[in-house]
Amino acid sequence: MTLPNLFFFVGLPYIAIVIFLVGTIQRYRNTGFKVSSLSSQFLEGKKLFWASVPFHWGILVVFFGHLLAFLIPSGILAWNAQPVRLLILQVTAWAFGLSVLVGLLGLIARRLTNPRVKMVTTKMDVFIELQILLQTVLGLYIGYAHRWGASWFAADLSPYLWSLFKLDPQITAVSAMPLVIQLHIINAFLIFAIFPFTRLVHILVAPLHYLSRPYQRVMWNWDRTAIRDPRTPWSEARPRNN
Amino acid sequence: MNLKTLWRTLVAGAALALVFSLDVGSAQAAGGDQKFNSVCAGCHSIGGGKRVGPDLKGVTDRRSEAWLLKFIKSSQTMINSGDPDAVKVFNEYNKTPMPDMAQFSEADIKEILEYIKGGGGGGAAPVMAPATPAEIKLGGELFQGIVRLKNGGAACNSCHHVTNDAVIGGGVLAKDLTEVFTRVGGTGVGAILGKPPFPVMEAAYKDAPITPEESRALVGFLQDVDKKRAMQTPKDYGNQLVLGGTGMFIVLMGLYSFAWRRRKPGPVNQAIFDRQVKSQ
Repeated sequence: MTLPNLFFFVGLPYIAIVIFLVGTIQRYRNTGFKVSSLSSQFLEGKKLFWASVPFHWGILVVFFGHLLAFLIPSGILAWNAQPVRLLILQVTAWAFGLSVLVGLLGLIARRLTNPRVKMVTTKMDVFIELQILLQTVLGLYIGYAHRWGASWFAADLSPYLWSLFKLDPQITAVSAMPLVIQLHIINAFLIFAIFPFTRLVHILVAPLHYLSRPYQRVMWNWDRTAIRDPRTPWSEARPRNN
Repeated sequence: MNLKTLWRTLVAGAALALVFSLDVGSAQAAGGDQKFNSVCAGCHSIGGGKRVGPDLKGVTDRRSEAWLLKFIKSSQTMINSGDPDAVKVFNEYNKTPMPDMAQFSEADIKEILEYIKGGGGGGAAPVMAPATPAEIKLGGELFQGIVRLKNGGAACNSCHHVTNDAVIGGGVLAKDLTEVFTRVGGTGVGAILGKPPFPVMEAAYKDAPITPEESRALVGFLQDVDKKRAMQTPKDYGNQLVLGGTGMFIVLMGLYSFAWRRRKPGPVNQAIFDRQVKSQ
């Protein structure tokens, strides 16, 4: 149990969670209107689709995959008991990881080459993209070179993460893990720590209610004279310019 | 978010982290016998003969305390620096590395050495009868998880690979176990399964110990794997994972494109922007 291990696997996660909580609350209180994705879709949309969609679907699946292995490790181990199911899980996870990588590379390229998007880009935007890129590359490499991570995560890293939440950190296993896995873990803590200062805060205000609310019809009054004429019937047709 | 708030956040976080670090640093005291039996006994006996590593009876007379302290803390560092005695032991025991005992302080190690000096209670290693075909089959199923370990532990192939057609390719986090039987023998494998001396494995089975029956079946299976290793032609799962993943990713891109087939070709105000750029 050396000092660097204590710092990276005990100190750092607690520092990260405190910064994450205090920072996010402060950001919301001070600059609440900036708690958003600060979308640039109005500036460029074509390339955005081929980058943002693969990135977001990929990261949603990968993130919730990690979360599930943390929350119900025994369930994941039970699923992995059949080799075929283990293979399905690993291949799926890797495919979505690749989706994150390709999407993210697209997002970075778009951000740095499109003049209109470049105009609204901050240093922090580039930094967080590179940090997530590092995390993705490490994750894909671990998936390939230290395979069946779904199982060993459930057996070794889930108990470690739980021990942090129980305020009784057990770090012998994580201290003995290969360096790439340690880097992946440390970088994850760093992402949590930097979270409140980046556009990642939009994760917390995702408009999930859009999924359940009744849809709103946006009216495009194409021919004003005709629309105002009481003899014109309500059109059921799809507006032409939308 | 201004600098002052950031600074305050950092200080609060650092203070909290320090408190927890100190708490962990003060390891619980336990007697030398308890430490020996929970960690060392997997691979070493005291007067019971060789297991994975040497019999430690009289080791405190054979080597100086300084040498032992250094070796126990990090045997690999010592071997890499070319210490002749360390290299000799390493080679003699099939180059199976002894894990670094980072969890022990110098005082802990001295306690253990005291216990060894006192003769310990290591006893003779049990002699095992050869495994039956049914046990070998069960061992294989346990190894890849088709039959779950009774206490819910992860299947061996989560981290270990064996070259064997009966099971799917195992993980590559930990050592390849194809020749483990030659390396450490049945008693050694049994001892490691009973009390894993490697920190990652120890943590994985701390709350889910492998039962003696399961251990017997696994030892039988690993002996069988070792015997038949030359005749096996398993698939390469690493490259299949990459190929399968890439194929699935291409399907995903198709799905994205299909799900959003009625998307707008660009921003709704693209025409306005283009006009402005043109007139400039």
